[in-house]
Amino acid sequence: MESPSKVKPILPWWAGGLGIGLVLIVAVALVQPIGVSTQYVVFDGVLLRALLPAVAAQSPYLEETAEGWSLLTYEFMFVLGVPLGAFMAALATGRLAWRGVPREWSSRFGPSPGRRLAWSFIGGFILLFGARFGGGCTSGHMISGLSQLAMSSLVFSSTLFVSGIVTARWLYDRRSR
Amino acid sequence: MKLLLGLVLGAAFGAVLQLSGASSHTKITNALRLRDLAIIKLILAAIGAGLIGVHLLDAAGLANMQVKDLYLPGVAIAGLIFGVGFAVTGYCPGTALAAAAEGKVDAWFTVVGGLFGAVIFAFLYPELEAGLLSVGRFGPVTLHRALGISGALMAVPLGLLCLWLAARLPEKGGLS
Repeated sequence: MESPSKVKPILPWWAGGLGIGLVLIVAVALVQPIGVSTQYVVFDGVLLRALLPAVAAQSPYLEETAEGWSLLTYEFMFVLGVPLGAFMAALATGRLAWRGVPREWSSRFGPSPGRRLAWSFIGGFILLFGARFGGGCTSGHMISGLSQLAMSSLVFSSTLFVSGIVTARWLYDRRSR
Repeated sequence: MKLLLGLVLGAAFGAVLQLSGASSHTKITNALRLRDLAIIKLILAAIGAGLIGVHLLDAAGLANMQVKDLYLPGVAIAGLIFGVGFAVTGYCPGTALAAAAEGKVDAWFTVVGGLFGAVIFAFLYPELEAGLLSVGRFGPVTLHRALGISGALMAVPLGLLCLWLAARLPEKGGLS
């Protein structure tokens, strides 16, 4: 279980927000807006093509998304950079820690790792299914899209927050009812 | 060179996510429960800075814009699905990668689950494309163009509003 000091972030909200804003602005000036979820499809495509090329060939969506079936692209390197940067930041601030079951989860659903890991998997499945369905995730739609005043991103972000809030309150607050 | 730039920008993004608590399951779920609004303030600040910076770049002709297509009700349903996953895992596709790198084993499962969700979507795409995704297509529409005004004229005041809201929102939510 995490101690409260480990949960308290190093950067205050405004530094985090302006930092993300700055990454977006530099990315838009030099290449294109930021995005993450497409690269899950690209990775799937490259992996599937290496393991089961006949199956991969059946999906025009995979072929279109993983153009050239390569991971050596600017977009994939950006996404690869995310865990790299997070790892280095956690290492530099002494925050690397093995943890399977988060505090909020165990106080509501108990400390069983199996249960948490299974729901993490299911949640991740739903998350990326929704992201690909909508054409983006928190990075691509909310940060990049809203900054460009995209209507599609406004719709996606609004319904995302409504369902996220309803689900989170239903999941985690039932005990207090 | 471009590959290295991608890696450096991504690493900066990942480091900020980690250092600001955006990759923390506790911070995200408490934000969605409206108990701890730090992440909401962070997102508002990021969008506020983004709106102003991106549209000033665009006004100077220096922005590489990429606006996503609007399709209704598809995008709205997708957001609803995404929100459920967001609340269940407490991570988004980007922060799951950051949390995984910090040693959060549950985030690894979110990433692997995400890879499965993405590939299943890829194989369902032909049917979805012919059905739900084919209705209500509006293309890459933006608020400012729909109103017939310049982007910066709308984005700068809206960006300032986001930054003001971010500063004004209390860190501790009212619902606890």
